Amino acid sequence: MSDMWINMGPQHPMTHGLWNLRVHIDGEMILGVDPEMGYLHRGIEKISEDRHYNEVITLMDRTCYVAGMAWEHLYIQAAEKALGLEPPERAEWIRMMSEEFQRLASHIMWYAAFVQDLGLMSPFLYGMRDRDLILDLFQSYTGGRLTYEYMRVGGVRNDLPVGFNDRARKVLDWLEPRLVEYDRLCMGSDIFRRRCDDLGILKAADCVKHGVTGPMLRSAGSKRDIRKDRPYSRYAQVDFDVATAESADVTGRYLVRMEEMRQSIRILRQTLDWLDHHPGPVLADRLPRWLGAPYAPIGREAYLLKRNYPKGIGLSAIEEPHGEACAYVVNEGGEHPYRVKFRSPVFANLSAASQYLVGYHVADIPPIMGSVDVCVGEVDR
Amino acid sequence: MDADEVRAKLTGAGAPGILSVDPFPGVAARVRFSPDSAAPLFPIVRDALGFPHLSTVGGIDWVERYEVFYLLWSDTAKTYLLLSADLDAKAPHIETASSTWPSANWHEREAWELVGIGFDHHPDLRHLLMPDGYDFHPLQRAFKLHEPEELEVKVRHV
Amino acid sequence: MAVTTLWDVAYFLSSGLLGVLAHILPPLAWLLTNPNLVWLLSALLFGAILLGASMINTIMLIWFERKMLGRFMDRRGAMHVGYAGLLQNFADGLKLFRKNTFKPREADDLGFYGGPTAYMVTSLLMFGVLPISSGWSDGALPLSMLLALVIFSFAPLFIFISAWSSNNKYSLMGGMRSAAQMIAYEVPILLAVVAVVLVAGTFDLNQIVLEQQNYWFWGPLFLALLVFSIGMLAEMERIPFDLPEAEAELVEGWNTEYGGMLFAFFMLADYLRALAGSILIVLLFLGGWTLPTYVPAVATSLPLAGIIWFMVKTYLVFGVFVWIRAALPRVRTDQLLRIGWMRLIPLSLVAVVLAAALVLVKCLPVFGCVPSMGG
Repeated sequence: MSDMWINMGPQHPMTHGLWNLRVHIDGEMILGVDPEMGYLHRGIEKISEDRHYNEVITLMDRTCYVAGMAWEHLYIQAAEKALGLEPPERAEWIRMMSEEFQRLASHIMWYAAFVQDLGLMSPFLYGMRDRDLILDLFQSYTGGRLTYEYMRVGGVRNDLPVGFNDRARKVLDWLEPRLVEYDRLCMGSDIFRRRCDDLGILKAADCVKHGVTGPMLRSAGSKRDIRKDRPYSRYAQVDFDVATAESADVTGRYLVRMEEMRQSIRILRQTLDWLDHHPGPVLADRLPRWLGAPYAPIGREAYLLKRNYPKGIGLSAIEEPHGEACAYVVNEGGEHPYRVKFRSPVFANLSAASQYLVGYHVADIPPIMGSVDVCVGEVDR
Repeated sequence: MDADEVRAKLTGAGAPGILSVDPFPGVAARVRFSPDSAAPLFPIVRDALGFPHLSTVGGIDWVERYEVFYLLWSDTAKTYLLLSADLDAKAPHIETASSTWPSANWHEREAWELVGIGFDHHPDLRHLLMPDGYDFHPLQRAFKLHEPEELEVKVRHV
Repeated sequence: MAVTTLWDVAYFLSSGLLGVLAHILPPLAWLLTNPNLVWLLSALLFGAILLGASMINTIMLIWFERKMLGRFMDRRGAMHVGYAGLLQNFADGLKLFRKNTFKPREADDLGFYGGPTAYMVTSLLMFGVLPISSGWSDGALPLSMLLALVIFSFAPLFIFISAWSSNNKYSLMGGMRSAAQMIAYEVPILLAVVAVVLVAGTFDLNQIVLEQQNYWFWGPLFLALLVFSIGMLAEMERIPFDLPEAEAELVEGWNTEYGGMLFAFFMLADYLRALAGSILIVLLFLGGWTLPTYVPAVATSLPLAGIIWFMVKTYLVFGVFVWIRAALPRVRTDQLLRIGWMRLIPLSLVAVVLAAALVLVKCLPVFGCVPSMGG
């Protein structure tokens, strides 16, 4: 068999979404790759230009469907900066808690999908089982399990329900020993190590060169974590370590994500303790009326809005479960953002695909791409 | 790192075509530069200022002009830097940043197809999110939603 | 006449049936009592019973695997059709049977349809050779084990034919992987069998089981059992050696293009081979239908005791395979071949040498000297 191109996708078990990895192979060796994106492009940035600031939140949940809260958090921060608003203290902590729960859920989802690609069937179901508990928590205070629409410009929609903190702690107590089990199933397996060690290597210098961030970068020894480097929300007030590994391979990315889950649990415990003792408002007073309005401002209101509202540009960056996400929201007055630009971490991580795929086997594609944790929703937007 | 430091470093390195260096919320500074000097400026920003990581490249259609901005991160200074250049509204184009920051490759492809900014000497300026043969630039202000459009999608044979 | 073997059952049924017919239709009695016709009908019945038994067992095996995997994964497996989902797989089979058979436009007709059919047929053929109990097959087949292994090793050919004729890159890659894998693992399997043959002194599966009346071979030939089981795992294409149909990278490997009944053929044949592999392990190493001497005699004197104990053992062996499937990830092609050529073959050679040494000293270290041993 001489060299040939195969299409892995757009409907292929490896892709975990809709995209096409065109692979140039010789026998089982990969000579080159060309990711083809756009199958899930919904024009979120364009639609946002026609929506109220609060209506964009709906789209954020759909940007990355396994990390909705993180994207809401990202957008909300940028939008608030653009509009010059400040959320109440408690709202910030609830947002941080939501983001960390989302990170936990996203990483568990990643774990499930990743081991499934390796042919390990049982941990997939363990992961889905445990992720459900977190989704139950989300459901209890947002009403949604996947698309929450919870955060608002100037705070969050509603406070946590009674008894939430204890329920959340119970979930964390259940999850912590499960993480040990996960680890034992993977790191304790010789075949797993043989599959993943020295696979898909991308050194730190190459990561920076190609814009690769998140667990992929940290697995190469870099300590770059926006939560630490440029603390947003209330991350400066909680105690946690940045998970790193040295090997820069698939095992390293696995170890980083596992450690991040442990650190998330640590952050969550501190956050829940703070929330226990600090009741308060969760939505800022004196929001402009149209921000909460389901209708477009008309008449005098619209006129005042156009004339008086402060313009501004909001820029925010968060450490999304997949890496560095940035939002750039331009407010030119009026009820709609003038331009919204998002930086998706997976977008950049995928653009470097040829760097970490070429030279390996076809059978290595699922574990390597699994370790990248592709979420097509946020690549295509 | 603040705007003054950025300005001092840029002048020290002899950066061409700097129009202004202003403070900007959330980043160390916003550096406005003239698009003609992009090619010599990018390596200076990367090496002399120490911004090896390019987060994103984006374009904005201001109707009377285009703006292209580059968001950069410095791991030593732990801060972002915003580069921005105003482009001609008729035929907006600028030198590619992908020879300096390889990560700009896809971001520029996206900015090219969605905003319509041309990137000179880009190694691989193909459609990324839109199908091949899509001749519209959806993020331009002239592109209105809810409008029927004629779209012929060329089928690519592999 | 005493019904002792399956052949006797078939013969009894066919001669009885023909006898009744001859009684009803006296003019045709000369034909109906013809011994050749009786023989022909009993042969057909024999085959039908074998077919039915192996098919039902296969489907039950799938059920067993689904339930067991379910338990490993914190869920319940099939629950809705029949008691505890017992009939679920029959329903699935019926569904596949009803489905439209389709073929890619550019696929080759003969290979596309012939491949799965031949795969299915050869998998079924194996059950004509494998004895399930002392009374299963009457005729002495002096080389029955070799025959079984020969039939077993037909599979890569047919898999490759159907993969190639599917005209799909994934199928082709899966087929090539499958062929490489099966050929690589034939060798250690055969060498492990050589160890058994050396100790048992016969190629006849019936005789091999009889040799295990006093001691099962798994103890003295543990290394051979290990090699044989790993090899069988690869031959069955089950996790961790299921690369030919590794769904993560090859969609469904060599059966990507198959649907409906042809897919059911592959599925059934896979499980038939799994069943045959488990049966072979029981026959060669776990004493077949015999029980250890310390088990009370009542256990062996029950009607059909041999078959029951045999099936229990077979399902336990298969249960181990399911356990492995629930616990291990998939290996890579090069690792698989390296395991086969560089680990299993030396190991199996060691096993052969060990077995030869055992035969030479005519003594088994664990169970004491056994005079009846071959050599």
